[in-house]
Amino acid sequence: MTTILQYTLSGLAIGGVYALVALGFHIMWSTAKAVNFAHGDTLMIGAVLAVMGVDAGMPVWLACSLAILAGAVFGVALERVAVRPFTAQANSIGWMLSTIAIGIMAESLATMQFGGFSRPLPSPGVDRPINVFGAGVYPQELLIPAVAIVLTLGLGLMQKRTLVGRAMRAVAHDKRAAALMGINVNRIVALSFGLSALLGAGAGVLVAPVIQASATMGVLLGLKGFAVAIIGGITSAPGVLVAGLAFGVLEKFVEGYISTAAREIVAFGVMIAVLLVFPQGLFGKRETVKV
Amino acid sequence: MSRSHLLGFLAFAALLVAVPLTAENEYELRLFMLFLIYGLIAVGLNVLVGLTGLVSLGQAGLFALGSYTGAILAVRLGADLVTASIGAAVVAALFGVALAYPTVRVRGVYLAVVTIAFGIIVENVAIEWTALTGGTTGLSGIPTPSVFGYELTGYGFYGVLAATLLLATLAAHNLTDSRYGRAMLAVSQSEIAARSLGVNATAMRILAFVAAAVTAGVAGVFYSFLNQYISPDIFTFSDSVRFLLMVILGGAATTFGPVLGAFVLTYLPEYLQDFQLWQKFAYGALLLAVMFVLPRGVMGTLGLGLKRLRPAARGLDPAEVAAAGAGLPAASRATTAELVTQGLTVRFGGLTALSHANVRVKGGEVHALIGPNGAGKSTFVNAISGVYRPSEGAFGIDGEDLTGKSQHEIARLGLARTFQNTELFGELTVLENVLVGGQSRLRYGLVDALLRTPRRRREERELRAAAVGLLAFVGLTDHANEAARYLPFGLQRRLEIARALAARPRLLLLDEPAAGLTSQEIDELAAMIRKIAASGVSVLLIEHHVDLIMAVADTVTVLDYGQVIASDRPGVVQNDPRVIEAYFGSPVAHGELSEASA
Repeated sequence: MTTILQYTLSGLAIGGVYALVALGFHIMWSTAKAVNFAHGDTLMIGAVLAVMGVDAGMPVWLACSLAILAGAVFGVALERVAVRPFTAQANSIGWMLSTIAIGIMAESLATMQFGGFSRPLPSPGVDRPINVFGAGVYPQELLIPAVAIVLTLGLGLMQKRTLVGRAMRAVAHDKRAAALMGINVNRIVALSFGLSALLGAGAGVLVAPVIQASATMGVLLGLKGFAVAIIGGITSAPGVLVAGLAFGVLEKFVEGYISTAAREIVAFGVMIAVLLVFPQGLFGKRETVKV
Repeated sequence: MSRSHLLGFLAFAALLVAVPLTAENEYELRLFMLFLIYGLIAVGLNVLVGLTGLVSLGQAGLFALGSYTGAILAVRLGADLVTASIGAAVVAALFGVALAYPTVRVRGVYLAVVTIAFGIIVENVAIEWTALTGGTTGLSGIPTPSVFGYELTGYGFYGVLAATLLLATLAAHNLTDSRYGRAMLAVSQSEIAARSLGVNATAMRILAFVAAAVTAGVAGVFYSFLNQYISPDIFTFSDSVRFLLMVILGGAATTFGPVLGAFVLTYLPEYLQDFQLWQKFAYGALLLAVMFVLPRGVMGTLGLGLKRLRPAARGLDPAEVAAAGAGLPAASRATTAELVTQGLTVRFGGLTALSHANVRVKGGEVHALIGPNGAGKSTFVNAISGVYRPSEGAFGIDGEDLTGKSQHEIARLGLARTFQNTELFGELTVLENVLVGGQSRLRYGLVDALLRTPRRRREERELRAAAVGLLAFVGLTDHANEAARYLPFGLQRRLEIARALAARPRLLLLDEPAAGLTSQEIDELAAMIRKIAASGVSVLLIEHHVDLIMAVADTVTVLDYGQVIASDRPGVVQNDPRVIEAYFGSPVAHGELSEASA
């Protein structure tokens, strides 16, 4: 029983990270119908810069804030350089490869600056584990899914209540009509990439104390975040949140009872299976074509 | 084959002979053999990426499957190179089919993610299934390759690799230049139009995936024999990215592009080693630079430059046009086709868009279908051409039931259509568009295509002559070699008609062909429709333009709120009070109908 609880709680922690990454994919896809394939590296930038900031003697809060900010700048710059020039093309090879290219460059730079090692970010959240019905978890692990839930709700409120949020929804629905209504579509798309990078880098800072920060941590987390977005339905923010948390828990159980290699097999196998049965994801909306 | 391609293949063959003779040491030769293996992967992947426009970021997974299958067969069962290659090709082909299956429902980024997931799954199965694959320590002790009992020396194995790549490149070139390549391009540009012409889009995508899978699988076997040791870390996501980059860098959809791309990306890491720490960064920068500077790849850009330098004639050689003879082929059936729908009903959720429609298009007539916006005309068209499945009712041509058949099956049984918002294959030339139209009448198979047999050449020649004749009929021979998307709108509509006629339909369905045309163009269209009907093809005309309907229609059927409210000769229907009410809401005098709708 304690084992099951332990797996569930640690699963929710990593699931919260997946949810935050996937939420970023949701935001980008909604406005641009394109995503940053190197979104995992945004997370890496957040984690690695935070650790480097602390190394340089900054207080933890300052290092984390600056790291998240840097991640957001990375997201906006990447949209301008690697996504916007290619979104007019019919197929998606252009922006897929160009964002992957930027990801490779970011990872290589990070390896040079940060070294090839993994290091944890010091955080008060991992000083000592607390006991939840016999299962030991760090407060930081409980914090991550909570943040994911709060941010999903916040995003929903922003999209419904604020002018910028409504503009984002308008752009998601119909770019041309939105432009005709005086919305600066390019600015909204840039903003959405910045916002998603904010969430991605934030997830990196949150998870760095639990799993260690390294230059190569982004690739797999990014791909899994994308898998989660597809499972949940990339058009639905709550769907992505639920799928992320569930995905994390599932992974922890497979990892705990079988092995880490089996974890990857099951995780990506589940994604393919879901796509075959629900092409729009579990909670996504169907897009119809008219001739 | 064109002269430039023939020269290209001769030069390529000469290079393959020259390299082992000039190689200074074993390492150099080995590196070149590695290029030959990567070249094979890239050539196969090019069929998928270049022709169908689908992206696979999981080729490393197929490469790994081939490697492991070959290595296991060789180590455990002592299989030789041929047996191991066949085994790996079969396994890879099966997974290729499995990977193509999701494309029925998902494309684009979704498909890319499926292939990424596939690659990661294969990598981790190789780690996890220790008993079979040796887990993370990998498989070693792979014997030197032998063929039918003869052990291959270094040069012998080189010969096998070089010959395989040369033949694979040739086969891919022939495939591209055949009905299959044309169909794949058509599917990638407008799937709905390709299906409406009898192209089985799913089969084409499966074929492309299998081509990409088999080449990657066989390349994997070669790799394991060359390296004599394999482990899971050789087959990662970044390798899949590299394979895709080979195709893009060299030039997707070109013959020699993938080979060139593979060459550059095999040797580049050797040079990038000088950069040491910056090696990976330089690789990423190169990838980015390629996307900006050479989005069509080296060969694609070169080809484009050559075309600008020496533009091909826009039109056709008048001699060819004269030989083909303008005009329509006589209808192939003695009896003209009759379309009958019985109680055809289509519902979308709670909305009944079409309700128990009984329509009868008699053989050889021009039958117009009209109705106010939202009356269900488009739904009717999409139901009988197989885009929508009817909720109830049945329809058929000449007593042959077509209900529930897929779009391409219906097309092959004799129904061809045009589209309200033209659906041309924009990147294909005008002539090629019409060739795709005649696609379903070709009988030669995959083997004929790959080997360029006399049968393939004869059938292609006949099809081309028929297509030229149809272009002459619609007056487009002067634009034959232009890309279809550059045609003015009115000519695009004509091209769609020629393309549909190329399928030799029994029933031609014209969906608002006059929309957006000038009045002179409409007159020409009316003449064209009468000629088509006179050749024995029944025509179902969906139209708003009353003048055109009055000029050509034998029968007019009126739809309103999904129901047939009248069906008779044009003069009678025009005065039908219910029709007038449908258009105006209350009875008004005759004559205003035509004015208001025109």
